[in-house]
Amino acid sequence: MTILTRRRVGALAGLAALGIGLTACSGGNASTPTDGDAKVVWSTWGSPEELKMFDRVQDSFKEANPDVELVFQPTPSYSDYHSKLLTQLSSGTAPDVFYVGDDRIASVIRNDVLAPVSSSSLDEGDFAENVLDVARWEGELYALPNDVNPDALWYDKEALKAAGITEDPAELAANDEWTTEKFFEMTGKLADAGLTGAVYWNYWATHDSIMTAGGGQVYDDEGAYVAHTDAKSVAALDEYAARFATGELKLADLLPEGSGEDTLLVTHQLGFLAQGRYTIGTIRGAGVDESLYDIVRWPTPDGKAAPTGVAASYLAVSKDAAENDAAWDFFSFFLSAEGQQLRLEGTGNAVPSIAGTDDIVLADGFPAHAQTMLDMRDLGYSNFATEAAVPDLSNQIAVEFMQPLYEAGSGAQETLDAVAELVEEKTAS
Amino acid sequence: MTAAPLVAGGRPPARRGWRERDKYWGMAFVAPQALGMLLFTLLPFAAAFLLAFTEWNGFGMPEFIGFDNFADQLTSPLLGRAILNTMVIALVTVPIGLFLAIVAAVVLNKIRGRAFYLVLFFAPVVTSSVAIALIWQQLLRADGVLSGSLTRLFGIAPIDWLGDPILALLAVCLVTIWASLGLNVVIFMAGLQSISPSVMEAAAIDGAGPVARFFKIILPLLSPIVFYQSVVAFISSLQTFDLVFVLVNNAGPDNGTRTIVYHIYDLGFAKSQFGLSSAASIVLLGLTLVITAIQFGAQKKFVHYES
Repeated sequence: MTILTRRRVGALAGLAALGIGLTACSGGNASTPTDGDAKVVWSTWGSPEELKMFDRVQDSFKEANPDVELVFQPTPSYSDYHSKLLTQLSSGTAPDVFYVGDDRIASVIRNDVLAPVSSSSLDEGDFAENVLDVARWEGELYALPNDVNPDALWYDKEALKAAGITEDPAELAANDEWTTEKFFEMTGKLADAGLTGAVYWNYWATHDSIMTAGGGQVYDDEGAYVAHTDAKSVAALDEYAARFATGELKLADLLPEGSGEDTLLVTHQLGFLAQGRYTIGTIRGAGVDESLYDIVRWPTPDGKAAPTGVAASYLAVSKDAAENDAAWDFFSFFLSAEGQQLRLEGTGNAVPSIAGTDDIVLADGFPAHAQTMLDMRDLGYSNFATEAAVPDLSNQIAVEFMQPLYEAGSGAQETLDAVAELVEEKTAS
Repeated sequence: MTAAPLVAGGRPPARRGWRERDKYWGMAFVAPQALGMLLFTLLPFAAAFLLAFTEWNGFGMPEFIGFDNFADQLTSPLLGRAILNTMVIALVTVPIGLFLAIVAAVVLNKIRGRAFYLVLFFAPVVTSSVAIALIWQQLLRADGVLSGSLTRLFGIAPIDWLGDPILALLAVCLVTIWASLGLNVVIFMAGLQSISPSVMEAAAIDGAGPVARFFKIILPLLSPIVFYQSVVAFISSLQTFDLVFVLVNNAGPDNGTRTIVYHIYDLGFAKSQFGLSSAASIVLLGLTLVITAIQFGAQKKFVHYES
């Protein structure tokens, strides 16, 4: 029988500690080449349906780079993805290449965990400058937009007709007659007809677009929050809030499961829906007549086009993977014109961010005014760096300040004053 | 006759040698658990306690800021809402859950085929809480089975149980009671079986009916178990997280289901404010200690221990 000595007990305890230590260290950055091949771990968020759009770009990359093993680590939910990513970054176990949301990218950059994109073979001049600002820090660019999604107003011609509306919003916009007054006249008629006027998502692009389409400012050129001092911003927000409170306008986030924004749109119960290009999938998936739907930009007081928010996601390379050539190869291919073509053509869910690929949006002929999405991309702006530099600040503003305003229907000045105070407090250091 | 001399301690030397060896075996068997406790409980607790006095976003070095995080959290309306919601969950689920479990245990104790019913009651206990939350989410959505049935039966408009702050909180309570019932029933049944049949027979002979026997004999004799279960269930309720996270999509409408642990998670992992998050977790610890102390104080009055 083996006698258990003090030394053996010590050895056992040591082995146990080593085992636990090794276990704790596992799951780290997997970029270390195995079997002589390079390995690239990359991650993003999305539902199983959304993740399918990455199949072709991954297959194409593998075909061109047979010596690179590509490991895909998706997470279903956007918020869970970022919680996980931040934990991985702080513990040095992040993937080599990863998506970052536009409300998070600036804060991630400031933690010095990303490699500058100057190591990639891409030219930043090929990307829309207005959506690069948020990914720049002290003159260096740390991420590039995968693609973008300006929230166009998707409208249902049948719903408009049912509400007695005879004018076509896209035609009005083409003649610079698409005014806020005209828009509210239509949403009012839709509400009177028992339909929902318009639906928006409760996030930064909605509030900011309301204010900038109304002729106001949100942040000034120095990055200071100025919406509360801009009479046009306050007035625009008050106008929309009053209509949210009556139910003429609604927040998609608060619609009940099963009768959400998509259902309302495809069952002709909704006039306008502020959403990105992914709405094509919703309409086609429902099997409804495509010709009944079109898009228009946000209305403005004078009917002319104004800049509005452009949602974007960014691709970045971990600082720890900076020496991994394969990571940069994948990064460059993924964002290249070819990579974006593979991801976004057909029923793609976004608008390309790189020059020379606009045909992806126009080729299909649906919606009829698809050019509007490209115009909105070129005129619009990304999330403001000041706001995106504080984790979850955009979400906090949306949930704790804007949503109560929309429910109350008035008090834009007080709300914006409180937001200004919050932004100042959060960005003081 | 001279008695045989005894060694010190009254044991032969060989026997003492075995005891020495047993000690090391004991240490070896306890070591993994002790190591786990140290790594996954004591060290994180110490780290959280220290982080509560710092500002840290997960990167770089934490910055010491004294009691600022506690001042922030103790005046935070969000933490106030989280404490209120958590207390509602605890105060609704613990008494109702324990009462239903006792009633179910008394009934099951008297019927045939109790094993079958026990399996049914116990199934949620061994089911993943995420799976439970997802199934109930399907039942409770506005276009779910429950709303659909109510609409068909009574012609009322579909109810969005999870879209209203109050209904969503009630939904969390309902699912919590349902999910924890099985474990409580099993424990109470074990307690019931330890009650001597002669006591019940004596009570019956003295003319005590079923209700009198339940309140005058069964409940007092079960009171130590009820007390233990109430302490455990209350602490468990204070830690409610996974159910609200999955069932009601994070904090629910208007923070209607924001619980303390969700608040801690939100601050730490969504907002990267680990100092504030740690301070909130210390507040939860304090709250748990106070409530448990109150429960222990109350037991002197309500718990009956057989001498």
